Amino acid sequence: MADNTSIRLDFRKSLGSFTLEVNCTLETKVSAFLGVSGSGKSTLLNCISGTLTPDEGEIAFGDEILYASASKINLPPEKRRFGYIFQEGYLFPHLTVAQNIRYGQPKPRTSSDAIDVLEISELLQRYPKELSGGQRQRVAIARALAMEPRMLLMDEPLAALDSALKNRIIPYLHHIKEAFETPILYVTHAFSEAMALADEAFLIADGEIMASGEPHQLLTAPSAMPISQLTGVENILFLPVIASDKARGLTSLEIGDQSLVIPYIEAEVGEVIPVAIRAEDIIISLDPNLTISARNILLGKIQYLDVRNDRTWLSILVAWRHLAVKITHEAREELELKKNMEVYCVIKASAINRLWH
Amino acid sequence: MRITPAEVAALFLSIKVALLSLVIMFPPGLLAGWLLAKRTFPGKALLNTFVMWPLVLPPIVSGYLLLILLGKHGFIGGFIHRVFGIEIVFSQVAVVVAVSIISFPLLVRGIVTGMEAVPQELENAARTLGASPLKVFWTITFPLAYRGIIGGTILGFSKSLGEFGATIMVAGNIPGKTQTMALAIFSSVHLGEDAAVYRLVFISTVIAFIALWLTERFTLR
Repeated sequence: MADNTSIRLDFRKSLGSFTLEVNCTLETKVSAFLGVSGSGKSTLLNCISGTLTPDEGEIAFGDEILYASASKINLPPEKRRFGYIFQEGYLFPHLTVAQNIRYGQPKPRTSSDAIDVLEISELLQRYPKELSGGQRQRVAIARALAMEPRMLLMDEPLAALDSALKNRIIPYLHHIKEAFETPILYVTHAFSEAMALADEAFLIADGEIMASGEPHQLLTAPSAMPISQLTGVENILFLPVIASDKARGLTSLEIGDQSLVIPYIEAEVGEVIPVAIRAEDIIISLDPNLTISARNILLGKIQYLDVRNDRTWLSILVAWRHLAVKITHEAREELELKKNMEVYCVIKASAINRLWH
Repeated sequence: MRITPAEVAALFLSIKVALLSLVIMFPPGLLAGWLLAKRTFPGKALLNTFVMWPLVLPPIVSGYLLLILLGKHGFIGGFIHRVFGIEIVFSQVAVVVAVSIISFPLLVRGIVTGMEAVPQELENAARTLGASPLKVFWTITFPLAYRGIIGGTILGFSKSLGEFGATIMVAGNIPGKTQTMALAIFSSVHLGEDAAVYRLVFISTVIAFIALWLTERFTLR
């Protein structure tokens, strides 16, 4: 990506006792900010769009300074030309879809491109209240695109939609990524969305950037403890398919020289599938010869034990991947678990969820 | 029902004055309403107090204060008298002034209520789409606040039609010149003209009913 579409963020904003402090440069086509609600994601976007003024610092897009406390520059939102897509859509209720899309004074061609990509040409004469949630969000995206923004700011654009609808909108976002030059800043608490779209992700918590990198690096890094707080899922693995059996309803993935059985998915052999397993869904056993309904008994080695207030956390090396496991202190004592011990991780197939790919 | 020319004159004066006051007070009402609903600034509470003052003051007191202010020796009236040679008190101008001051709070209240109901987020969205604050006002805030604005307008207009206390203080009760409907009713009661009282009361009641019904029609979903 050329330098003139990079965005430089270096500012501070306090709201009550909360402070957002960022210092980073976004250079990729799609950058995602991942964080739980209250982590400062919306504050960040509002400062970038100009609807909120930082306390101090600088925001620049390419060579153009949008905000600088030192030189008292603060471009109003209407001069920044950032297309802002909100979680709630915020379509203008008294205007039709066509009027909403035209509101940003677009050139007609861009709005018709946006209308095509988002497949909303049937809806143009309707009012927002006559649209479904997914349609409304597509119109909101088209409206932002039609103004020919130099960047799209998306604030949880899918959060208000149910997961079936999400999966239908994500392809549209992919289309936009491909069909338009516009860089995108995507803010979400859903790591699957970040993984589906982003080239680079920033992990944000308590108003600070905790980590950054390619989304899957961020999610699989052993140090990425905040990820678990973020996603509620501690283990994210990318594993290739070795076999898929529709009749039995199971698909096998390769993990080292062992296999991980998950509920059936439609996938080619060799295709890499991202899956998520919660730390508390993994049972530790010392004996591999269990008569048990769980389909997965994986051999691994305890890399370290972390005794916390209420639970013991284990990091278990399976092949070369870490699995985070959460057990009770009693279990740890009874099994006499120690570092470098070989154990078996017992996982039900149905406790393994496929992530968005 | 035979309406006398004097009654017709009173009715038309009331309507003329109410319309005129509405036309004059609507722009400042819109500005005040927008400031109070959408802006934070030092002295906001003070502005609100000033705007709402006539609502809590007895109209007769407002009228008396206006009389002092607008009289030939008053601060404003004296100036106008010296410069233009016109006397405001006991003229139709005084009726308009009295009625405007008294109805202004109702007009503003309606506008504020309407504008407060327009989400800030919609206005912000419009800004990010390239609209200046003025464009946001005319294309988003104003049309979305229309229920409150119409409500305030009709309530203010009705208040203007029936204003009594301030009008009689500052404009007197001169038939054919400053005698509005309310003042005509007052005079008729005084003179014991029962038939005239009934006619005027009937007309006033009908007008009030229509105004309120229109308000409800426009402001209810």
